[in-house]
Amino acid sequence: MNPLPLQELEILRSLLDRLVPADEFDGAIQAGVDDYVVRQLGGDLSALRPAVSGGLLALDAEARSRHGRGFTGITDEERTAILADLEAGNPRAAWENSARDFLNLMISLAAEGFYADPGNSGNRNRASWKMLGYDPRVGDP
Amino acid sequence: MSDFDAVVVGAGAGGGAAAAVLCEAGFRVLLLERGDALPAAQIPRDHLRNHRLSLYGNNTGPGGAGHPRVSVDALGRAAVVAPHEAAYHNNAMTLGGGTRVFGMQAWRFDPLDFQMASRYGVPDGSSLADWPIGYPDLAPYYERAEWELGVTGGSEDNPFAGPRASGFPLPPVPASPESGWLGRAARSLGWETVTPPLLVNSAPRQGRPACTGCSECIGFACHVDAKNGAHNTVIPRALATGLCVLATRAQAGAIDCDAQGKVTGVSYFQETGEGVVRKAARARIVIAAAGAIETARLLLLSANKAHPDGLGNHSGHLGRHLQGHTYTGAYGILPPGVGYTGAGPGVNIATTKFNHGNPGVVGGALLANEFVSTPIGFWRSGLPPETPRWGLANKRAMREYFRRGVHIQGPVQEIPNPDSRVELDARIRDRFGLPVARLSGTIHPETLQTAEFIRGKAVEWLRAGGAEKVWSFGNSLGLSAGQHQAGTCRMGAEPAASVTDPWGRVHGHDNLFVADGSLHVTNGGFNPVLTILALAFRAAGFAALSLR
Repeated sequence: MNPLPLQELEILRSLLDRLVPADEFDGAIQAGVDDYVVRQLGGDLSALRPAVSGGLLALDAEARSRHGRGFTGITDEERTAILADLEAGNPRAAWENSARDFLNLMISLAAEGFYADPGNSGNRNRASWKMLGYDPRVGDP
Repeated sequence: MSDFDAVVVGAGAGGGAAAAVLCEAGFRVLLLERGDALPAAQIPRDHLRNHRLSLYGNNTGPGGAGHPRVSVDALGRAAVVAPHEAAYHNNAMTLGGGTRVFGMQAWRFDPLDFQMASRYGVPDGSSLADWPIGYPDLAPYYERAEWELGVTGGSEDNPFAGPRASGFPLPPVPASPESGWLGRAARSLGWETVTPPLLVNSAPRQGRPACTGCSECIGFACHVDAKNGAHNTVIPRALATGLCVLATRAQAGAIDCDAQGKVTGVSYFQETGEGVVRKAARARIVIAAAGAIETARLLLLSANKAHPDGLGNHSGHLGRHLQGHTYTGAYGILPPGVGYTGAGPGVNIATTKFNHGNPGVVGGALLANEFVSTPIGFWRSGLPPETPRWGLANKRAMREYFRRGVHIQGPVQEIPNPDSRVELDARIRDRFGLPVARLSGTIHPETLQTAEFIRGKAVEWLRAGGAEKVWSFGNSLGLSAGQHQAGTCRMGAEPAASVTDPWGRVHGHDNLFVADGSLHVTNGGFNPVLTILALAFRAAGFAALSLR
């Protein structure tokens, strides 16, 4: 069951795309990192789901306050600039909880989904492992 | 009439070795293990839930709810913690215990490790003491552990080690490009190095295959069963005698003991298909081998009218002197062109030059290169600290550095203190209604001094090799126990200053023994499993004599 409404899921995807962007190798979206985050929010991290929802909506408000459009409607460069401001502790919109804590959580989740084993729902087709030249070599799990 | 000659509580390294010794001497043993006998296929290869990185859970138990502990931090704040959290100080709870998923380093302690107080004096506030036995007492049992379980090692010995009667039964695992680079760097400093001894089949032995050099090693069960642990050596030997009854999912609740101090058996809870069943086994002797936290807890849980503070707690030492290893070291980026194979185990080179004789500090540590890393493990701790934490720059840094990361680290010999301890929590109970372990205290400040010295040596090693970047982090005061937990039933000749006698027999209880890291007066600057095994072989041999 999807613990996030569609609007929040789309903001999440736009965020993950900036945390682990695609270049000549797959990024978070191609690797299914959104699936990993959704699964965690429905499982181990279900207690954080309200905070994550609140953070995603605050991120959307952050984009609107700057560009008059939501986070999914602005350019990659504009999204990256917002995240850099949040990391530096300079949000412009009203955040109920710490914007930096939210970003730190999402950075960790993005990395876990991208670099951990595919059994966790991310790292589809071992995208990150192929990029790094890592192979567990234990046969198929 | 007893049901068994012996009940052994805990089927890890110590309990497994003890069961083998007793059964092969012809005695009937009940081996209790609170965890499951997990086949490798049931120990998940989950990169977020293993014994190296347990972000959301473990792969080897304790599983399910109802196994909390209470942790008291340095400011005195108590919190209920779950098994996968760092403050729980878990060790794998399954058949084989920590040896199921360990990193396999199989060091003998140095002769000086048994004489820390004589060598260094006793720092204020510490309970540093000599062992009541010395290296020569343990040497034959170290040799048994090396040959009966199977240890790989180099032909050249650690130049600071005590004398050994024989070499290693197995040759080293293949060296890595990284270890070649580190060897050249050490030689440029004039440092002696040694191949770390490992409990792994580098060649087929005892009916099991050789290590394949896979890249999911430490924290995981071996995919071809080449790690030599209790579960595939001493425990099968005990079972093969037909004299060992293994009970898994069986949590000991108390060692039963009469008013004169004679123990009569063990009361335990076994989880079955029909729910939890209370059982009691009568035995002529009992051996506690549940690890330094749970063995202390069990002896405390065994309090009765005649022994109101627990068994072996006549002098108030039970549960105190809890210690582990404070890890320190340095990270770096290898120069381009050194080469990466990703082959596990990954620990290929060490120096023991700084275990002792370091100016101005007490003791020291071995330094060795780190095990092969998973990508998420490297993302969390292997990237240079100035690396951006997200975006293309982070992704490019992973590409640039994953195959060039190097990490030198070592287990600092801790200076024990009595305030670092295991007690019973007054409020929180486990799924069987038993009070849980309450952990409190911190390492002694002197340990931080030693760690700082060792950190400097690790930095020096990487710099000498010409690493592209070198960085390191300091340590802080906190509780140390974890997978190397030790010290809570310290052995000693004087009952007033110890829990067991020099054989591991609990003072005041002629038929109660301890056979795990709880016995360690000090924990060496080395991974402790070979010492745990050696002490268990020795204690169980002594216990067997009492059964004749």
